[in-house]
Amino acid sequence: MRPQPWRLEIEHCTTFTYDPPARSSYNEVRMVPLTTVRQTTMSARVEITPNSRQYRYWDYWGTQVVAFDIPASHPQLEVRSVAVVDTGPAGGRGDAGWGALESMGSQMAEFLVPTPYTAWTPELVAVAEGLRTGGPVDTVEAVVEWVHSALQYQQGVTGVHTSAAEALDAGKGVCQDFAHIGVTLLRRLGIPARYVSGYLHPKPDPSIGEEMAGESHAWIEAWTGDWWESDPTNLVAVGTRHVVVGRGRDYADVTPVKGIYAGGGDDTMTTTVRITRTPRD
Amino acid sequence: MVGDVIDEYRLPAGVFDEMMDTGGRVRSQYHDVASVLAQMGDTDLIERSDRLASAFRDQGVTFDLDGEERPFPLDVVPRVFAAAEWAMVEEGLSQRVRALEAFLADVYGQGRILDAEVIPRRLVTSSPGFLRPAHGVDPPNGVRVHVAGIDIIRDEYGRLCVLEDNLRCPSGVSYVLANRRAMARVLPELFTGRSIGPVSDYPARLVAALRAAAPRGISDPTVVVLTPGVFNSAFYEHALLARLMGVELVEGRDLICRGSDLFVRTTDGEMPVHVVYRRIDDAFLDPLQFRPESVVGCPGIVNCARAGRVTIANAVGNGVADDKLVYSYVPDMIRFYLDEDPVLDNVETYRLIIESERERAMAAMPELVWKRVDGSGGKDLVIGPTTPATELVRLKAEVEADPRAWIAQRLVRFSTAPTWTGDGLNPRHVDLRPFAVNDGERVWVMPGGLTRVALSEGGLVVNSSQGGGSKDTWVVGGVVPTPAGRPPAALVERMQGPPMQRGPMSGGAQQQQQQ
Repeated sequence: MRPQPWRLEIEHCTTFTYDPPARSSYNEVRMVPLTTVRQTTMSARVEITPNSRQYRYWDYWGTQVVAFDIPASHPQLEVRSVAVVDTGPAGGRGDAGWGALESMGSQMAEFLVPTPYTAWTPELVAVAEGLRTGGPVDTVEAVVEWVHSALQYQQGVTGVHTSAAEALDAGKGVCQDFAHIGVTLLRRLGIPARYVSGYLHPKPDPSIGEEMAGESHAWIEAWTGDWWESDPTNLVAVGTRHVVVGRGRDYADVTPVKGIYAGGGDDTMTTTVRITRTPRD
Repeated sequence: MVGDVIDEYRLPAGVFDEMMDTGGRVRSQYHDVASVLAQMGDTDLIERSDRLASAFRDQGVTFDLDGEERPFPLDVVPRVFAAAEWAMVEEGLSQRVRALEAFLADVYGQGRILDAEVIPRRLVTSSPGFLRPAHGVDPPNGVRVHVAGIDIIRDEYGRLCVLEDNLRCPSGVSYVLANRRAMARVLPELFTGRSIGPVSDYPARLVAALRAAAPRGISDPTVVVLTPGVFNSAFYEHALLARLMGVELVEGRDLICRGSDLFVRTTDGEMPVHVVYRRIDDAFLDPLQFRPESVVGCPGIVNCARAGRVTIANAVGNGVADDKLVYSYVPDMIRFYLDEDPVLDNVETYRLIIESERERAMAAMPELVWKRVDGSGGKDLVIGPTTPATELVRLKAEVEADPRAWIAQRLVRFSTAPTWTGDGLNPRHVDLRPFAVNDGERVWVMPGGLTRVALSEGGLVVNSSQGGGSKDTWVVGGVVPTPAGRPPAALVERMQGPPMQRGPMSGGAQQQQQQ
C-alpha cells in the first residue's frame, strides 16, 4: 500500500553566544524547506533575535536563503525557523544505464567531480572500484549499504570541517560524514550525486501531535535517469520522515547558518530541532 | 639624411614591424613621427628620454614589483595606429564586449549556451572564475563589463588578434593618461599640427557609464572607487581615477551594509552609496560570500547588489568569461549570441581538455606558449623555446594532472615597434591593451590604449610586472598597413579553434580602405 503523506511541523532553533559581544554580524540562513515533487512547504518563517530586516533569495542551488545583518552590539543571536511541510514517499529512480550516465557527463559535471570535502584518495578510489555492480541503480544501493557498514555512528569524533577521507579513516562519524563518503564514491563511479541537507523524523510511525526531539540530517541523492534519495546513515527508505532543505555538492553549499561577525571574541553555538507530525485537515 | 635614427633602424627577420615594411619604407601613419625623430640627434633623444623618466618619477608613476617601487619606463617613440585600422579594432572590441556580456548574463541566468552545448557545461562549472554567489544578481542596466581591457597583438602576418580578455579589474589606464601628458610636455614638436585621438575624456566616459549603471529610481547616484589601499600596486591608478572622476576614493572599512543598502562613513555621517567601482578582486570583496578572512572588503555588499540597491562595477563573477579556456570559445559566443562573424581573431589555442588536442600540444610542447587559465600579469606563463627541458618535463606532469587548468597557444612573435634603447632606435616587441567602456547603450573604445613594450632584445613578455615599459599610443588619419601575408593553411587546419574564414586583413579592413 502506498504510504499516506504526512504533515510535519519543524522548529529549528540555533543560538550563538559571543564573548565578548559581537559588534555587528552578517549572516545567511538556509533553513526553509524546499517544495519538490515529494514535499510541499505549506508555511515557513524565520525569526531573528535581535530583530532584524530579512532579505530572501534563492541561491544557485535553488535553496531559499534568508540574509540579514545586525549592525549593533549583541551578546547573542538566535535564529528560529518554523516550517510546516507535507511529505510524501519516494518517487521513481529511472533506469539509465552506464552509457546514458556517460553521455550526461558534461551536463552533470558539477555532481561528478570531487570537492575539498569529497576528494578522491587512493583508498576511496579502491573502495569505489570494488562496489561497481550490475547497473547504476544496483551500484547506488551497494554504495549506500557499504557506507552504512563502514562507518559507526558516533557524535563528537568528526566536526563540520571533516572530509570524507578523514571520516573513513576515523571509522566513526555523523550523518554529514556518511553523506560525504557516499557522494564521493558515487561520483568516482560516474554516478552524479548530490549532498542533501534537511530534517529527519526520528520515528517510523509517529502518533499525531507528539512532539519529538528531531535532528538536522544529511543524506544523498543519486541520478540514474531520475534523482532519487538514499540515507546511508540509517539505511532506511527516504520518504515521509525526510524533509529536504537544500541540495548541493557538499555541506559547504547548504550550510544552515553561515556568518561573520566583528568583535574578535569566541562564539558558542547550541541548536535544537523539534519535529511534530500534525493532522492534515 | 644619412645616419639618422630612422635610416639606421634595422628590422628583425620574420616579424611584422609597426613602423617599417619589409621594403624598408616607413608606413604612412608613421611618416610624421619618423620625420621629427630623424631630425633629432642621439643627444637630443637621450635628453628627452631622461626628461620622460624624471617626469614620471615626479608624478609618482611607478610599478610595484615584488614590493619594490620601479619606474614603468615610457619610450620616446609613440606607437601609431591608422584611423581606418583602428575603426576595425573598435568594431571588433565592441562586438567582443557585447558577446561577453551576453555570455555572463547567460551563465549566471538561464544557461542557454550550455543547454545548446555550444560551450560544454563542465567547462563553465569547473572554471575558477565561475562564482555561484553571482547567480541571480541582475545588474540594473544589464552591464557587467563596465570596463574591459582586451589585449591585442599583431602577428607575423600583420593580423591583429586577441590574446586575452580582462574583464575583472583591468588596470593600466592611468599610464595611458600619464603617458600622453608627459609626451605632450617633453616632445611637443611631435604633436604640432596633428590630430591625435584624445585619451583625456576617459574618466568622463567612465563616470558616465558608472552613473548609467545606478540602481533603478536613483536619479543622482553616488559613485565611489573602492581600493584595497595604499599598498596595492595599482593604488596610484585608483587615486587618479577617483580624482579625475570627481568621486570619493574609499576602502572597505569606510563602507557599511545595512539591510540591503550601502553607506559610506564620512565626517558628515553616513551617506548612501549607489555604484561601487571596485578595484578589489572578487575573492576579497565580500567576506560573507568569499574569503571570510578578507579585511579589505565589505561584508554584505554582494547581497546589496542582488537586491538591486547597489551596483558593483565590474560585476562579481566576470572571471568566468576571461578564463583562458573559455576565451577559446569567444568566437563561438559571437556567432551564438550575435549571429555575427568575429571581426578580431583569437590566437590559435589548444584546448587541452580534448584528448586529441592535448596530444598534439604535448608533441609540440617546446614550440608553444603555456598559460594557466586563471593566470595574469605574465605569471604562470611558460614560453616553450626559452624554457629548459627539465622545466618542460615538470610542466608536462602538471598539465597531465589537471589539463583544465592550462591552455597552450601558438608562439606568436608579435610585432615590433621602434624603441629608444639608449644608443639608437631598435625594434622591440609590443602588445596593446585597449580600454572599452560599456554604458549600456554603446561600447566606447578609447582611441589608442596602453602599448606595452618588452625592453629586452627579442623579449616577448611585456607585462609591467615582468619589467616591461610602455608607449604613448596614437590613432591618426591614414591607411591600413598592408598585410605581409596570410597564416599558412596548414596552421589553420591544425587548430580545433575558431575557423578563420575571414581574416580581418583580407576582408573587412580592405573594404574599409576602398571606401
